[in-house]
Amino acid sequence: MNRNEPLQTGTLLLEIGALLMTSGANTNRVRVTIKRIAESYGYTADYLITHRAIMLTLSSEEQQEFNQIKQTYGFVPNFKVVSGISRLSWEIANEQVSLEEAAKEVERLKQLPHYSRWVILAVVGLACSSFCRLAGGSFFEMAIVFIASFTGLFCKQELGKRQVNAYVGVFMAAFVTTLVTGGVAKFFNYEHENIAFITAILYLIPGIPFINSTSDILDGNSLNGVVRAVNGFAISFAIASGLIFALLIYNLV
Amino acid sequence: MNTSVLLESWIWFGIAAVGFAVLFNVPKRTLLPIFLMAALGGTLKLILVQNTENVVLGTLCGAVLVGFLSIYAAHLRHSPPFVFAIPSVIPMVPGSFAYHTMKGVIKLSGHVNALEFNSLLRETVNSGLKTLFILLAISIGVFAPMLITRRNSAKEINIRIPVLKSKRKS
Repeated sequence: MNRNEPLQTGTLLLEIGALLMTSGANTNRVRVTIKRIAESYGYTADYLITHRAIMLTLSSEEQQEFNQIKQTYGFVPNFKVVSGISRLSWEIANEQVSLEEAAKEVERLKQLPHYSRWVILAVVGLACSSFCRLAGGSFFEMAIVFIASFTGLFCKQELGKRQVNAYVGVFMAAFVTTLVTGGVAKFFNYEHENIAFITAILYLIPGIPFINSTSDILDGNSLNGVVRAVNGFAISFAIASGLIFALLIYNLV
Repeated sequence: MNTSVLLESWIWFGIAAVGFAVLFNVPKRTLLPIFLMAALGGTLKLILVQNTENVVLGTLCGAVLVGFLSIYAAHLRHSPPFVFAIPSVIPMVPGSFAYHTMKGVIKLSGHVNALEFNSLLRETVNSGLKTLFILLAISIGVFAPMLITRRNSAKEINIRIPVLKSKRKS
């Protein structure tokens, strides 16, 4: 294995680690990926991975060659990036991929488009109305849930664009969603059994933080696991308070 | 159990999972496996819950099924297993238990007279614990195949291949 520039390798590894951490991978995946790539380029990697920053030391033959810290980005689930980096790391490990090519591939993955905004809104609305159907709702309730979650997610995306605090965004989204659900119900004079309220806000549930928290704790990365669990509980609390405020307006608590 | 209800819930479980998959921005090639995995896992959970009346155990079995299928799907579509597994288990989250827990806590923090307190506390603690354990069951179920096979070796690649081979033989 030919020796490459330590600075270039380290920068690439830190970028990959930060991207994985922000896109919703668990800590073990970040560790394994960094280690795999570093070994393919002929370095020994030691690292400290936390929620907000990654610290990396590269050494070869007992000599330290690279040592830096990189801040991770704001949390946006993006499994396209995780999937692409996983492929890239195997390509680097199995074939000869130059550092320039690898860096180019990472740049390309970062630029990959998300699904278009209206597709996301429509599909998430449909998902929430399927939840409603699974909980035993009628087709009328499904329609209410679709409209409510559509509006709520739209608000969340708008707030996200304006860089509002993430928890405030979740709170506002839950509030607006419940407001719409209750409003439609009032307008059509329809009796609820709470199903519409419960299922319309389900698109906000912190699934990735909770699942990753358990896996991190099981892998022995307890600190990261606790951080993620606290994160998940804070989001749950934000959802609950948004819901309660809207229910209080309709006097339904 | 009613077959038509089961067949219908297939579709709803699938759509719900695909909705979350799009929200998490998964690659397009993984959408079909996610639909199928969520439908299979969800139906298994429904059947178990209706026959055994145990929500936590039913969810655990559904999540374990999704976990094993995700390793299969990962080899077919070349993506990490959890890309398939996380959207697929989200339709199993205990939404209504969480809702009743939250409502109970709000009521408990207000004015409660001594007569109502006991029943209210019982209901709240019951749904709260169910929420917690279902969440744990979901996340442990997703990683069950990794946990079981990790004893063989520390490296990921050595784990996945024996699992795939043994599945193909059966």
